[in-house]
Amino acid sequence: MRIRAALATAVASAGVLLAGWQSGAHIAETGTATTTSLSSTASSGNTGSTGNSGTTGKSGTSSGGGNTGSTTAATYDGTQVQTRFGTVQVRVTIQDGKITEVTPLQLTDAERKSAQISSRAAPILRSEVLQAQSANVQTVGGATVTSDAYLTSLQAALDAANF
Amino acid sequence: MTSLLTSGSPVKSAPEGAKGKRPTAVERFQSQARRRLARADLLGGLAWLSGAASVALWLADGGANGFSSFAGTMTALGIVAGLIGMDIVLLMLLLAARIPFIDNTIGHDRALEVHKTLGKPALYLLLAHGVLLAVGYGAAEGLDPVSESVSLWVNVPDMWLAFVSTALFIAVVVTSLVAVRRKFPYEFWYAIHLLTYAAVGTAIPHQFSVGGLFAEGTWQRWYWLVLCVGTGAALLWFRIWQPIAATFRHQITVSRVVRVSPGVFSIEMTGRNLARLAGSGGRFFFWRFLAPGQWWQPHPFSLSAEPFTGQGNQPGKLRITVRALGKGTADLEHIKPGTRVAIEGPYGMFSTAARTRNKVVMIGAGIGITPLRSLLESTPFQPGDATVLIRGHDETELFLDREIMALCQTRGATLFHLTGPRSQGDHPWLPEDAVRAGFGLHSYVQNITDADVYVCGPAPWAASVIRDVQSAGVPTEQLHYERFDW
Repeated sequence: MRIRAALATAVASAGVLLAGWQSGAHIAETGTATTTSLSSTASSGNTGSTGNSGTTGKSGTSSGGGNTGSTTAATYDGTQVQTRFGTVQVRVTIQDGKITEVTPLQLTDAERKSAQISSRAAPILRSEVLQAQSANVQTVGGATVTSDAYLTSLQAALDAANF
Repeated sequence: MTSLLTSGSPVKSAPEGAKGKRPTAVERFQSQARRRLARADLLGGLAWLSGAASVALWLADGGANGFSSFAGTMTALGIVAGLIGMDIVLLMLLLAARIPFIDNTIGHDRALEVHKTLGKPALYLLLAHGVLLAVGYGAAEGLDPVSESVSLWVNVPDMWLAFVSTALFIAVVVTSLVAVRRKFPYEFWYAIHLLTYAAVGTAIPHQFSVGGLFAEGTWQRWYWLVLCVGTGAALLWFRIWQPIAATFRHQITVSRVVRVSPGVFSIEMTGRNLARLAGSGGRFFFWRFLAPGQWWQPHPFSLSAEPFTGQGNQPGKLRITVRALGKGTADLEHIKPGTRVAIEGPYGMFSTAARTRNKVVMIGAGIGITPLRSLLESTPFQPGDATVLIRGHDETELFLDREIMALCQTRGATLFHLTGPRSQGDHPWLPEDAVRAGFGLHSYVQNITDADVYVCGPAPWAASVIRDVQSAGVPTEQLHYERFDW
């Protein structure tokens, strides 16, 4: 290759790398911001490694779900599950002895785009769990790691609720 | 023995004085050479740029952020290694796809040379990709790399395919290194190389499903998809569809087999629309003789005469000259007239398309003489501007020597026959007695730095020629070499 062409290539390559790095730096900032806000929410919910219930419902003290007939809703936070794609933690809401809601507190987002995977998987898992009324549901294809972590965290929350 | 067979002044004679009057030193191939050099620069530039782009994909995804921890660093390096490794694999496939633009620019042989040098770096990068990610992911989860690999294999979809792919890549690179060294038959090497497609094919799914970089909805996914699909399409189009189309278009049929000397024979063929085939620069084809026991074997040969294109409805003619080296080529001597021939080609730059200067030097040995015969017939030069050196152990190995002499006489080229045992010294391409007599490259060719030099012959011999040609000061772009050691 001639020197001029080699130089042109080097400059073009450097330009491409720089452009990539610039747009990447931007993404990285927003990514960190999201993570921080998520983890602050989680910490306010009193998350121990065993997944203690951070109760916010009306009857915070009645941690048992066996008290049927009442219209109280209790929420329980699952354990934080570490995966290579980030931390996963869910919050389950139990009312009248039924799982009425599952909210993800943290989802896999380590590689930025795994956030996309988990945001696809989470609604599917939620509806499956609500239907099955347990954590024994199928994992979502293409999001196995996220699903496993989601269900593990959920199971911990259900255990804490003696569900 | 060294003998000068024809002198530079042609039979129809151009007196020495005429040289001065020639429209002085207009290099008629200058613009062709400049265009070709620019194309080569463009291709080289694009190749490097594609590597940079694959890293940029990852940077644009915030990849540079991962270096904060040990696990993150390993993961980041692993991802980058995988991206560059795959980019190189795709480049290798493109180089092997026989794309006309690449072929017209650097030639079939050079493309395969580059392809070969990329093999090992690609393998190392892909292995590093696997190891670094096992370490990085493992460290993030508190697992050792082996358990992490097992967990990846078991738990993550498409990952088992990636492991299979790694094993295949190792198999391909290692066996092709061994195969080249031990000179396994061409077919063995060819079969191994077909495994490459399996290796690449099994590597692709995990890139899109596991790698977060190419998740749905990202522009990176589109870039990578276009790259992969484009490479696959190029392979299908140029390596499969074009040969089929050419085979049907030209309807090539064996007309007769002529013995040249013991173990060497010419196969003459007829065909249609050969003007189209002759118009492109290349003179090198893969031939598949559609006869029992032969059809599955593609033979790489260059034309040993210019195609005769034929007039009107008259069919054209093609000729190759073959030396029986293995069983496959030996059987070709008994190929029946009327046998249909499937072709892939024409490829290569061993033709006028590679010319950069008015003067031309052709140096050939053994069966490598035969492509020079075709070049000598067609490539333009003024009487006195061409020198032909042909080398053989004895006179019987100077194949097609009578045709070559006749061409040199009519066109005004200087011809040397170099025969006798090879020299043991620094110039093993020359006969021993020539070296003893003090002859070197300069004795045969004056002002070689001002000429295109075409070299064709067995690899070790050609390497020795090229060494002497380069030390004589001939720039690389004036040196044209075709391998002939299949």
